Amino acid sequence: MDVTATTARHSIARVRVRPIRIAELSFVAFFALVTGLPLLFLLGGSFNLAAPGQPAVYGLANWARAFSDPATVNALWMSFLLSGARLIPAIVIAVLFAWLIARTDMPGGNAIEFFCWMAYFIPDFPLTLAWILLLDPNYGLLNSLALELPFVHSAPFNPYSFWGIVWVHTSTGGIWFKVILLTPVFRRLSAALEEAARVAGAKTTTVLWRVTVPLLSPMILAVAVLSFIRGLQSFNTELLLGTPAGIYVYSTRIYDYIRREPASYGEATALGSVFIVALGILLFLYWRFLRGKRRFTVVTGQGYSTARVRLGGWRYVALAACALYIAIMTLLPLVFLTLGSFMRRYGFFNISSPFTLAHWQDVLRDPIFFLALKNSLLIATITAGVGVVLYSMAAYVLVSRRAVMAPVLEAFCWLPHILPGILLGLGILWLFLATPLRFVFYGTTWGIALALMVSDSPVTTQAFRAGYLQLGADLEEAARVAGASWGYTYRRVLLPLLAPVAGAIGLMNFGGALTSISTPVLLYSHQSRPLALLMLEYSVTGELERGAVLGLLITAMICVMMLIGRRLGLQLSGQQ
Amino acid sequence: MAPPVLEFRKVVKRFDTVTAVDAVSFSVHRGEIFTLLGPSGCGKTTTLRLVAGLEEPDSGEISIDGATVAAPGRGIFLPPEKRRLGMVFQSYAVWPHLTVFENVAFPLRVRRESSEVIRERVGQALQTVGLAGLPDRGATQLSGGQQQRVALARALVYEPAILLLDEPLSNLDAKLREQMRFELRALQKKLSLTILYVTHDQTEAMTLSDRIAMVNSGRLEQVGAPEEIYERPATPFAGQFLGRTVMLEGTFRRSAAQQWVELADGERIPARMDSTGSLIDGARVRLITRPEDIVILPPDRLEPTQIDAIVEQVDYLGDCFEYYLRTAGALLILTAPKKDRYAVGAKVRLGFDPARLSLYAQ
Repeated sequence: MDVTATTARHSIARVRVRPIRIAELSFVAFFALVTGLPLLFLLGGSFNLAAPGQPAVYGLANWARAFSDPATVNALWMSFLLSGARLIPAIVIAVLFAWLIARTDMPGGNAIEFFCWMAYFIPDFPLTLAWILLLDPNYGLLNSLALELPFVHSAPFNPYSFWGIVWVHTSTGGIWFKVILLTPVFRRLSAALEEAARVAGAKTTTVLWRVTVPLLSPMILAVAVLSFIRGLQSFNTELLLGTPAGIYVYSTRIYDYIRREPASYGEATALGSVFIVALGILLFLYWRFLRGKRRFTVVTGQGYSTARVRLGGWRYVALAACALYIAIMTLLPLVFLTLGSFMRRYGFFNISSPFTLAHWQDVLRDPIFFLALKNSLLIATITAGVGVVLYSMAAYVLVSRRAVMAPVLEAFCWLPHILPGILLGLGILWLFLATPLRFVFYGTTWGIALALMVSDSPVTTQAFRAGYLQLGADLEEAARVAGASWGYTYRRVLLPLLAPVAGAIGLMNFGGALTSISTPVLLYSHQSRPLALLMLEYSVTGELERGAVLGLLITAMICVMMLIGRRLGLQLSGQQ
Repeated sequence: MAPPVLEFRKVVKRFDTVTAVDAVSFSVHRGEIFTLLGPSGCGKTTTLRLVAGLEEPDSGEISIDGATVAAPGRGIFLPPEKRRLGMVFQSYAVWPHLTVFENVAFPLRVRRESSEVIRERVGQALQTVGLAGLPDRGATQLSGGQQQRVALARALVYEPAILLLDEPLSNLDAKLREQMRFELRALQKKLSLTILYVTHDQTEAMTLSDRIAMVNSGRLEQVGAPEEIYERPATPFAGQFLGRTVMLEGTFRRSAAQQWVELADGERIPARMDSTGSLIDGARVRLITRPEDIVILPPDRLEPTQIDAIVEQVDYLGDCFEYYLRTAGALLILTAPKKDRYAVGAKVRLGFDPARLSLYAQ
């Protein structure tokens, strides 16, 4: 009794400071600085005719110049066109995959799902390099093979084209991302709805296209719009395949503006601003559309039956088709990328002693490589580590119900999700150039890590938020009532319980930091260059074999991480 | 009398537009089990969380052991970890990443007790709740009943000023619930604990409590011993929530010499003088009593506290009959022993006990 009485009396004299309020304010300030301010600089910068860091001169000249150049408008149009063109085949394929995995008795569904996860994490840059090595009109292996045929007289494939870009995109992460999103949706659909259609006399395929897909159409559409927006953020494939053919999207155009001498910040920001406005309109329409689509509420998961569609003999055909798709679109390119890294001159099998270790030796002996490796590991560790600590706390503030500015904080957390990497990089570059932050961050590994951390904020915060919600408040409150301070509770109760979430998201962010190109591409210097950008430099300067070596190394690192993740018991398929 | 262990003075807690706790005042004394009883969403759990410091009141004052722990008007708020309370959550909130021993030891580790003290007191606490054999078991390997005991041991291990129990028995099956109820009462007596108990289960409230507070829409409708509330509910809500009630509507009449209630079909029931203070002649009223306080009698008996009724349906329940009786514009459901039997359509008399009739203005 005495203990309580005295502590209580102490508290009377003390002015109350609420830690959660301080945390909330710090987070809002942090996000305003690293997300809000870059966006503001981006939008404001387009009206600023002076270089960043110089006294501002306002005017419309940037916009005038950007839009008097038809190339700018074309780039914007091309972004939408490319993202749209690859959406349709990708959605059809993803729906088929998800349906086969989740709703049919296809054998090995879980293994296929796991491979989809693996494929999702394979970085797109090495895959694009691999397709170049297979499809290049001069030395591409598939072209050479095709030319052997008697009736083929010119190279049939050309990756440096609109359809080349679309093709490569159907093998990279985007398609697997859709499978990963759609599979749980298909899994939760009540089988009774399909069974009713069967009883009414419909065939399996009729049920799929007439019942299952229409029922899930709002979800599929949601995934499609999300994919479209993500597609607009694409940079690597467009840079490697589009630039040689003169096909520019807005992101490669911005890259071009900043990389030219002298850099045209004004035009770049003007183009970025137009894109943001267009994206804003798109998102608003999407939100309006989703709001009206609450009609199909059958996907509740309540009392659903998990009976699966019987495919009969077709189930082996289905399995073979899925396996073949993964093999052709993912494994085949990687195998030939590996082969290419060991060839003296890629595609020239007829020269004497075509195979060599020279590229590997050259790359691995080069001190530039070790500096880049060190930078990459440092950047990825900072990004993953600091991100986990920071966003686990931000998510805590958001779920605590005590945040006064929750909507603001939430908006800031989500902003980087729609902001393409190149624009985020541009905004942050501007932030570094225009503020004293440049002394610590400009051109350094810390600067790159900060940008990557910002781009991780939506997914990381969301993952922790889901984690907290799943834990419920009781476990934490029990610790508080038992006498533990918040810090003690966080260390001893919350963090250990969320270790699997923290592990999974940390690994993902680590991998993302290793492979990211578009976010750091405007922020690095020779001293802070990470592996992925060294790979980019080799690839755009014609040293494809060296690029292949680095691409393979990065892919290998990602695969090792995936296996570590699996060993740690992280959930990589929807089924428990 | 010693100061109350817990005191609420006009405490208000709002969530957006909803007032969850509405100017609530009560006090809990040392060594008693004080129960907050009410339907879900009535504010009883919020009240408990205000005690624990998991919610901050909007106004009013809360004190524990004579020290103010929350008084927004004076800028006082003591965080939960400084209140020296024990709490058992409805979900038990046993930490799944810790063993039974570590779960129970947690409050002592927070208080930086030496390892000998921890070993001894955790051992004692586990012994007390009947879990002596399982200290190294992982918390997730326990049954619901065992988890509950862990939660209880964890709340008791550092001798809290008050033990807060939030529907602790609601997740147990019926048999285990009865057993735990019994053990909880025994434990409370043995350790002379002060307990604030939250439940929506009237049986739990009746059997466990020294005093019950009936909570409805954020207000305390009545505070008293279980018997007092059952026998003399202060409001129709209190009567209805605690046990079954029978309700008849009518008009209050008073003359110089007597007062009575006139029912729908002209029947009259005399009203006790003490319950009618401010009622005026002609007021619409409700008469409420317990079904077990009504006797079914043959039609020839005539007393002033009886009214006519007709049997509409009879159900055989094995140990008794259940009668659906139409009377004074209402349908009453009463059980009666098997020795008398009335057929459907039979006329009977219903006898009321005037001491157990409560009268409320409508």
